[in-house]
Amino acid sequence: MALCEAEKTFILHSVEENFRIDGRQRGDYRPMELETNIVAPSFGSARLRLANTDVLVSVKLEIDSPTLEQPKLGKIEFFVDCSANATPDFEGRGGDNLATEISNCLSSAYKSSTAFDAGKLCILKGSKCWKLYVDILLLECGGNLYDAVSLAVKAALWDTRIPLVKSVVVDGNKVDMEVSDELFDCERLDVTGAPIMVTVCKIGDQCIVDPTTAEEHCSGGSVVVAVSKSNFSTILQTGGGSLHPMTLLESLKLGQTVAQRLDSTLINTLKQINDNSTDVGFLK
Amino acid sequence: MPVDLKRINGPENTVSYKLYTPSKTFKEELKCLFKSNNKRQDGRNSLEHRKMFIKTGIVSQAKGSAYLELGNTKVIVSVFDPREIPNKTDYSQKGVLYCEFKYATFSCPQRRNFQQDSEEKQNSIILKQSLEPAVCLHEFPNFQVDIYALILENDGSSLSAAVTCACVALAHASVPMYDLVTAVTMGVVDNQILMDPTLKEQQLCEVFDETDTKSDHGIIVTSFMSTHQQISQFYQTGNINLENISKSISISTDASGDIKLLIEKCIVNHVLKGANKSNEE
Repeated sequence: MALCEAEKTFILHSVEENFRIDGRQRGDYRPMELETNIVAPSFGSARLRLANTDVLVSVKLEIDSPTLEQPKLGKIEFFVDCSANATPDFEGRGGDNLATEISNCLSSAYKSSTAFDAGKLCILKGSKCWKLYVDILLLECGGNLYDAVSLAVKAALWDTRIPLVKSVVVDGNKVDMEVSDELFDCERLDVTGAPIMVTVCKIGDQCIVDPTTAEEHCSGGSVVVAVSKSNFSTILQTGGGSLHPMTLLESLKLGQTVAQRLDSTLINTLKQINDNSTDVGFLK
Repeated sequence: MPVDLKRINGPENTVSYKLYTPSKTFKEELKCLFKSNNKRQDGRNSLEHRKMFIKTGIVSQAKGSAYLELGNTKVIVSVFDPREIPNKTDYSQKGVLYCEFKYATFSCPQRRNFQQDSEEKQNSIILKQSLEPAVCLHEFPNFQVDIYALILENDGSSLSAAVTCACVALAHASVPMYDLVTAVTMGVVDNQILMDPTLKEQQLCEVFDETDTKSDHGIIVTSFMSTHQQISQFYQTGNINLENISKSISISTDASGDIKLLIEKCIVNHVLKGANKSNEE
């Protein structure tokens, strides 16, 4: 996106006046749409639309053996796919850097066991565990990818149902197990601690959340904070700028309050989702 | 990941023998962190940096290079001349930094692969983002400067060592910069802040004690430009509350200022040496 100087000044002033170009205040989010359980072959899925940003997340489960260093932990892996549908810049290997950045940020945010308890994914210590493949597909980019992705991932993990393991038989070196294939014989993951990421963007002298693509272009630097409950699980500066220590601290505080607000809203929204709803598919 | 057939790879599926040696529990390890006189195992206070050694001009083939020792952590960074950005069709107004962070295969207790793994890729991105705000990118439009950081020995805080060393190497390569970037690693474990953790301490900060869910743990890497009072990159992992983070920010910015004096001295020495040489001729 190319912006001329006049447009940049306009955005800068709008942030200064606390009345942004789409009428929001500095701490406001754009409207969101969330759907869960929409990809039939996956164990859990969610699609989040944040104004023009569209993210689809699906969770697949497979059986793996834990690493020797951490025999009691299951595994979780994040893959981000920047589809060329989103923007032509992603064509070929264009989106690779962004994809690595987002997936690395997610895996470091979910690494701490206070954020996500991988111990629950262990079936038999040292030999069998669940591995969660979290696939993130960016369908449309309208700014603020980190926030949208983290919300969608949390919703998809909430939606994930892990089949119950009926029995595990250890016979010498061989481990055999039986997993229930009943459709409703499964348990949900505990995602209360799953981190929410918030991008805090510095424009002029002020910090804003949920920047649009145009606002991202005007920012002098931004910081992504992943907040799990009330603690920070990852902080990362993005956008190529630098921040004064005081500004950084202020944006961390802003990020923390906004993330907690988002988190409680998301959990309330998820609670309202009815298991018996009949709507299927997301291109409604 | 495709296997590189041109290189001799180590045997597949081997593990470190350390897994089979008797291991201490987390609590016991935590007790060993400090000696009886409240000093760390290497005799430092909790907020004391290790001794540092810096030298410029290590690699003669590179435009600029630097070598840095931080206790046992050893890093070589080389910076190569600007060259045209490969595989690019449109003209870019700004120059580009290309950073590669690599652990030597023998540098860690566990053998590393020749190819970059995800940790090294992540560190490369952080290295790039730490340096970018300090370099005058508009001075070399459509060109790319390559920065290669190789960790010869990893005894903790290797990323911050690489950032500081890369900054010296950039200065040695006469790349125009606004300011010098210095980085400091802070470890948080059991609500204690440790400056410049060794590998052992760093590993303790990364793992988590299952019995106590309240205590903080994690790693913070701060890259700071002290003349402009700007943080160019702030990277944190683990689980830390705001109070400890704000404490770490002020401690690490102060420490960065001290490191910067050291770096300045090293660069001045290099310039004086060059001046003396040209006087003799």
